[in-house]
Amino acid sequence: MKLKLIYPKWKKLPGQTTFNLPPHGPVVFAASLPDYVDVSFTDENVEEIDWDEDCDMVGISMMLTTQVKRGWAIADRYRAMGKKVMFGGISTMLHADETLQHADSIFLGESEGRMEQVLDDWRNGKLQKVYNYMGKLPDVSLIKPARRDLYKRELYNHKGVQMVDLFHASRGCRYSCYPCAVSYLGGRCFRPRPIDAAIEEMAGIDNNRLFIVDNSLAQNTQWEMDLFREMIPLKKKFISHTIEDNPKVLDLAAQAGSWYVYQAVYDTSDYIKERVKRYHDYGIGVEGTILLGLDNQTEDDILRLIDFLLNIDLDLAEFTILAPFPHTKAYDDLMRQGRIFDTDWDHYNAGQVVYQPKNMTPQRLQELYEYAWKTFYKDETQEEKMFKLFTKVLLKEMEDGTYQPRDRRLANKSFGHDVIRNI
Amino acid sequence: MKVNEKYFDEVFDFSGQWDMPSKCGLKLGKFGDKVVILVTELYQNNPGTSVTYAAGSLIKQICDAYKLDIENIIYIECNPDTSSKLSFYDEECFIVTFELKEGMPVNLKYRQLSSVELSKYIII
Repeated sequence: MKLKLIYPKWKKLPGQTTFNLPPHGPVVFAASLPDYVDVSFTDENVEEIDWDEDCDMVGISMMLTTQVKRGWAIADRYRAMGKKVMFGGISTMLHADETLQHADSIFLGESEGRMEQVLDDWRNGKLQKVYNYMGKLPDVSLIKPARRDLYKRELYNHKGVQMVDLFHASRGCRYSCYPCAVSYLGGRCFRPRPIDAAIEEMAGIDNNRLFIVDNSLAQNTQWEMDLFREMIPLKKKFISHTIEDNPKVLDLAAQAGSWYVYQAVYDTSDYIKERVKRYHDYGIGVEGTILLGLDNQTEDDILRLIDFLLNIDLDLAEFTILAPFPHTKAYDDLMRQGRIFDTDWDHYNAGQVVYQPKNMTPQRLQELYEYAWKTFYKDETQEEKMFKLFTKVLLKEMEDGTYQPRDRRLANKSFGHDVIRNI
Repeated sequence: MKVNEKYFDEVFDFSGQWDMPSKCGLKLGKFGDKVVILVTELYQNNPGTSVTYAAGSLIKQICDAYKLDIENIIYIECNPDTSSKLSFYDEECFIVTFELKEGMPVNLKYRQLSSVELSKYIII
């Protein structure tokens, strides 16, 4: 059986450096398929879909809300060609009712241990419209190493530098943050993978640089420390979300190869300033993630926050506008108050205002978002700051003997396209 | 973010979107000849769909469970004060009105209640 697995493209935000990372969800899903399934993978962000490629079924994997409309269009075209189309992934779960209208079948939940039944149904002509495993979480020990062999590696390469590989050591989250839907998707429970399985998978990845995409590593101190301790011999370098603010944990994270973290910056407190400093004390870089447009922010608050960011020595900053994704508290609140004025999912890209902010006009919030990006990067561009962080990881790799020079054959390519140099 | 028990007399189990097992706080009262239903979001103790997202179905499920006339209720949705530092988790209550289509609440409309208005309907 041949399955054509597609990851739909989405429109990138203007003015920001675009790096295409190899998507994780589709290859994790592919690892849950029975051996007899022959999978081909197309990431539409880096390559065109070959509509003529022979296949028995099309699988569309969607992570972002900004992908759903494109995913539906792809499905409509394949179904018009007589192909069966099945959807899965995070944004399929968040937009299940709408997606159902474009699908022969939708899969809700996590796929481990379930695909044999689904494919049996398909082979017997009994494919169900909905496979509903919401709230029925599989044992995390069933997670197999992601099928990274499906990637066309040269498409995730920028001027000879291979992009980081994505990896997850746990699922779920015990927190339930205001703009986040993870608690709906995976319950409010932290589900760490067995450390030996996680380490085995990590060791097998043909890339020294990883992005550990777990929602937050700071959920169980002992597990977090054990994971970092076991990672040390691998000499990998990694990006991650928050690491626990604890000297022992930070020390182990640094030894394990923590390169930089995404750290939410939500106020101008000394706590945040010290938090950033403590990461730096351990040689860990910090990319601040700053959410704009919350009800407790006035224009002055946002302007103060931007000034603050310039004074706390962040390595990078990423600004986003609150996007009320379905199944978040943000969505519930704004929907009840009748403040959502734009329901075009293409606009839910965290760079566009789709609701009426409490303390300013939508236009003013949009201006402040653009001002934030420009101001933070006025003296040094995003690419220059990234290069500095990149240099740090190169030096670390040289120190521990894991440095590999970039691939000169791809020096004039960026994500599969020729690099146009302005000489 | 544990919700204070003053908001509810019982925890009501309901079937959320895609049959997700879900929970909310429930308090029933009377206002004239109408039954007042106060549902409270339980946040960390609600493993499934939020009361807001599930509202139409939840109204029906409560009325069915308590044999209430769905056309003779006052339905109030409460986001309780969770003593969070974040203002988004302050107490907010909304009266929810709706139309019925084949027995199911549709076109839900929310109006926020002041504490004085709320106290007319039900005491928290």
